Amino acid sequence: MRVVARLLLGPSVVVAVALIVKGYTKVGDGFAAGMVVGLAVALNAVALGARGAEEALPVLRHAPRVAAAGAALALVSGFFPLALDEPVFSHRPGPDEKVVSVGTAELMTAVSFDVGIFLLVVGVVTVLVHQLADPDQEHST
Amino acid sequence: MTLAIAAVAAVLFGAGSYLLLQRSLIRVVAGIALISQCAIVTIIGSSLSEGRAAIDPEQGGPLSDPLPQALALTALVIGMGTLALLLALVHRVVVAHGTAERDELRDVDRPAVVDPEGAGRREGDETE
Amino acid sequence: MADATTDATTDASVAPTSRPRLDVQGWSCCAAAAAGFVVCLVGWLRGGATVSLPWAPTLGVRLDFAFDGLAALYALLATGVGAVVFGYGARYLSQHLADHGRPRSERWRFWPWMALFAVAMVGLATATDLVLIFVFFDLTAVCSYFLIGFDRERREARTAALTALLVTIVPAVALLAGAVLLSATYGTFSVPELVERAEPGTTTTVAGLLIVVAALAKSAQVPLHFWLPRAMEAPTPVSAYLHSAAMVAAGVLVLGRVHPLLARSEVVLTVLLVVGLTSIAVGGVLALGRDELKQVLAYSTISQYGYVVTLYGMVGAAASGAAAFYVVVHAVAKCALFLSAGAVTTATGEDRLSHLGGLGRRLPVLAGATGVAAATLAALPLTGGFFSDELFFGAAKEQGPVLVVAAVLAAALTFAYIGRYWMRLFLGPTGTTPAPLSRVLVVPVVLLALVALVVGVLPAPITQLAEDAGAVSHAAPVALSPAYHLDLRATNVMALAAWTLGGLLLAVTGLRDRASRALAVAGDRLGPRRAYTASVLGLRRWSGRVHDWETRDLRSSIAAVLVPAGALAAAAFASTPIAQAYSVGPISGTDWLVLPLLALTGVATVVAARTRERLSIVLALSAVGFALAAVYALQAAPDVALVAVLVETMLTLVFLAALARLPGTEPRRESAPRAGRRWRDPVIGAIAGLGAFAVIWGYLSEPREAPSVSADQIRLTPAAHGKDVVTVIVADFRGLDTLGEITVLLIAAVGVATLLRRGRLWLPRPGRPGARRSSCGWSPGSCWDRASWSPSP
Repeated sequence: MRVVARLLLGPSVVVAVALIVKGYTKVGDGFAAGMVVGLAVALNAVALGARGAEEALPVLRHAPRVAAAGAALALVSGFFPLALDEPVFSHRPGPDEKVVSVGTAELMTAVSFDVGIFLLVVGVVTVLVHQLADPDQEHST
Repeated sequence: MTLAIAAVAAVLFGAGSYLLLQRSLIRVVAGIALISQCAIVTIIGSSLSEGRAAIDPEQGGPLSDPLPQALALTALVIGMGTLALLLALVHRVVVAHGTAERDELRDVDRPAVVDPEGAGRREGDETE
Repeated sequence: MADATTDATTDASVAPTSRPRLDVQGWSCCAAAAAGFVVCLVGWLRGGATVSLPWAPTLGVRLDFAFDGLAALYALLATGVGAVVFGYGARYLSQHLADHGRPRSERWRFWPWMALFAVAMVGLATATDLVLIFVFFDLTAVCSYFLIGFDRERREARTAALTALLVTIVPAVALLAGAVLLSATYGTFSVPELVERAEPGTTTTVAGLLIVVAALAKSAQVPLHFWLPRAMEAPTPVSAYLHSAAMVAAGVLVLGRVHPLLARSEVVLTVLLVVGLTSIAVGGVLALGRDELKQVLAYSTISQYGYVVTLYGMVGAAASGAAAFYVVVHAVAKCALFLSAGAVTTATGEDRLSHLGGLGRRLPVLAGATGVAAATLAALPLTGGFFSDELFFGAAKEQGPVLVVAAVLAAALTFAYIGRYWMRLFLGPTGTTPAPLSRVLVVPVVLLALVALVVGVLPAPITQLAEDAGAVSHAAPVALSPAYHLDLRATNVMALAAWTLGGLLLAVTGLRDRASRALAVAGDRLGPRRAYTASVLGLRRWSGRVHDWETRDLRSSIAAVLVPAGALAAAAFASTPIAQAYSVGPISGTDWLVLPLLALTGVATVVAARTRERLSIVLALSAVGFALAAVYALQAAPDVALVAVLVETMLTLVFLAALARLPGTEPRRESAPRAGRRWRDPVIGAIAGLGAFAVIWGYLSEPREAPSVSADQIRLTPAAHGKDVVTVIVADFRGLDTLGEITVLLIAAVGVATLLRRGRLWLPRPGRPGARRSSCGWSPGSCWDRASWSPSP
């Protein structure tokens, strides 16, 4: 179980990235991607216990920061047009402009907004899982 | 099909309201979960399949209505967030009062179970 | 005026008795008001201006400001009187706070409201859009609420504040209703445009009456006058400002602003006349018998604004101009009287006429200045009051003999009560010996008295101002010619008659006092104040009962949500045609797969509702979720299905994690519910389900209109460089919604963290044991918080 949990984490992140990148053309978006990673984290927590998972994956410690960063990224992607005197959520590149793409990944602000959602969902879900799994050491003793 | 969706939504809502009236807070939370499922089913039901999934519209052919799906999508995720919050609340109530039964909670409003001073302040904060 | 305030500043800073430090806030308010006065003066001399900005264009509401004659008059009053009152208040408030043992920081509860009061008043004066007028109108009420209730530890002050708020704000809704009525008929909220478009008729009459109700309540006219004498609980500067230039003046200001509309309806004018004359009589007679200084002045205000309302009830250039002139003169005189009353109370500690007397010997300057102010109200020559009464008589003369008699009687009454007030205060045997007074408390009174005298000798500037203001109210040029004429023309005869009658009233003390007292008692017994108190108490009782019932337990709370919702849904059903509303809907292709899944959902739902085992609830819930996810997948909603599967998995985990933490795995059986109760919840659930069924089926059967929004979004998706329409909607078309929704998620996470770990988002690092303990130290709240949350030992 532990091994599986550990092993699944990597692929889950890959799947999540794929979901985001493909999201604009195929099924999937930031919410789904976030939930995939969140599930992997939850699996870790189930397998190792919240504290164990935190020790095994110190990255998890940054979950609140990840959530905040996601919110900030989404906010910026949504509201930067205001600085250019356009309505909010007018994404760049605009309609009929060429999109630079790296492979199938397209670089545009809508995608960065999606990435923001992804980060936020990951962060929030991780926090939720860990808090509920292990509310407060002082009380559970 | 319309009838079937409506019937399921109705069952969800009826069961949800029944659970809402129960004493156990856990069941109340479950009731809220059911009612939010009812809402999502209804939203999706309003775009009953009219064609294939709304992906790559340039291919032509009938598409299902994407707007309710987008609404349902966010509703699902938010529903999870609120449920987690409710569960945390229940957990806190149990830790503080030692029970998740509503009637007992009312009886122990001025509990001997909890540190009286702290609880008193807490109650005061809430009732005012 | 600016110079005078600077002088006063130095006064306060060197005065040896000034115990508290300089009131910076007060003096800066005073300086700002003086600057505002200068700006307004320059603006008026330059001929005014208009500003018009769109506010809510779809509703036709604009930010329309016009600095015309009327605006100039009231703005000059608000800032000029404001500067004097604020200067006085800067000294008074320090003393007041020191007397009540309150900290100096309480000034922050006073001056911001005073400043806002002045700003709101200037805004009201310049606004020409009815909605904007309504906003400023209510803003003055809100300011007055906080100022009247400034001594908030005193119950009377709180009640008075609430009364003032309710009595002026509730009728203010009538103003809005009138505005909406006019706008619905004539298509604009702008007063000048309405004046052009409105025609005499029922609509104009009704709208006019609604506006008049709001204005009269604000100007404390009978029968909504009772809030004003109560509002005397306020500190003296507030009373002075309230009565002369702000709150009460706001009512007649609105009357003056919309007067061209009101003049199109005989009914409205009659109402104004009747209410005005009644207020003069009631206010005057009651003022004759009052003992408390500020009460006398309060009833006097009711009576004096009755003059103005009466003048607005008479049509004609003379009446409109006279009303404007009257407002200015009254503001100056009344402000001086209030400030002097405050000074007297500060010096003697007494606020009753019966305990005071003979102050003229100790405080000659104050007595002289107050005398000028009183003479202004009594309309003696050489004061501005003479001209205002001359204009009043002139306007009345045009209306016929009835009003001539009424006007003379009104002036006689005013002469009597203000004469009684001044004589009882400053003549006769000494009542209480006054302490020496700070000059800052006397200088403003003297200043205002000087203004009254100057107007009495040189009426030209004020006449010009009143002509400009009257021109706005009359919607035509107005010419006034106040002057002294040493002959027996009608106005002079009327004035002489009034003085004689007033003198007689002063002489026959017994009859006068008895009449006044009788009216006061009758007013208390039958008056509107009693009705107001009863209605407020009734409302509170009713609200308390509803609240008790609603919060009795969770069920009641839920019922309080569900029952009105159900009632609304039922009402919607009752009013919707049902013809071919319900359709079974076609079943085809994959739908045969969907049906069993839906059936599974139903069964799982029932299991979730029936079972007593927590684990079963969770499993049933997740069965519901997964079955529905499959349904979504088959309904060509792959995005939703994907997220649904993930969310369900997560929820199951979260539920299990939470349940594992809860003590007492076995929820106790409902302990023998009473016989009737056992079936109650299932029945309610069944009814709710049936209701939901009817609603949802009806909604789903409704043939959808062409999904124009969705079609647009599908069409635009390629332009947004996407192919998955759902994702594009989430991230692009409705991005703002999504942003709001993810914020909810973030808040939920913070909430969970607050509940479970007291706000710490993450556990402290292992290996640093001290970190956890220190959590008690970082905020004062966390220690008791911990105590309350601790589990039982």
